[in-house]
Amino acid sequence: MKVLALIWGEESGWDTLGDDERQAWYERYRAFGREADGKIADGAELAPVRTATTVRVRDGQTIVTDGPFAETREQLGGFYVLDVADLDEATGLAARIPGASHGAVELRAQAREGEGA
Amino acid sequence: MKYLLLLNNDVAAVDSWRALTADEARRAREEEVPRWNELFAWIGEQGIATDGLELDDPDTARVVRVRDGDVSVTDGPFAETKELLGGYFVADCTDLDQAIELAQRVPVAAQGSVEIRPLVES
Repeated sequence: MKVLALIWGEESGWDTLGDDERQAWYERYRAFGREADGKIADGAELAPVRTATTVRVRDGQTIVTDGPFAETREQLGGFYVLDVADLDEATGLAARIPGASHGAVELRAQAREGEGA
Repeated sequence: MKYLLLLNNDVAAVDSWRALTADEARRAREEEVPRWNELFAWIGEQGIATDGLELDDPDTARVVRVRDGDVSVTDGPFAETKELLGGYFVADCTDLDQAIELAQRVPVAAQGSVEIRPLVES
């Protein structure tokens, strides 16, 4: 099954890091990528939340607003799509995602056939 | 340029789907199908490479944190909001305008919202 792992963290903290510290974090992510090789179907870092755009359609009119749909203390900074046997395996992998040690990793399973929204 | 599109369903809409019987839920899904097919036809015409998933009910969401080496796992989505993530697309669009055009064609945009986040190209 596929599980979407959303990596939440305080973007303001990332902004204050120096180049060396950022490179160290990227190296941790690369190490996770090697460790979890074969279990990662996709993944990416997101550009800062100030680049977010939210789109709604109401009564046929498109409303485009800058920013994320919800203001949260921590921001979505990246994601992986994990290819795993079950949610427990995804949980084990999530604990090894570097972002889990300062922010949080939210796991959302793929919809089962004929279910979900 | 790649974009992550987060498909956020309105909570009231999700609650109303939960109240449906199995038969009603099946019919509601069948009614939705043509709208999604229209979207996928448009994506095909535009030649936009997309990937994505429909997500399971937020009830099965888990949040994982590690502090001082201890792993904590809690239930439920990360953020308590009036919209719930129901799926996502990763779309390779020419620019933000095309991503917005795609977003407004996603059926979810008509009752919830579609949030567009540019990806950092590595």
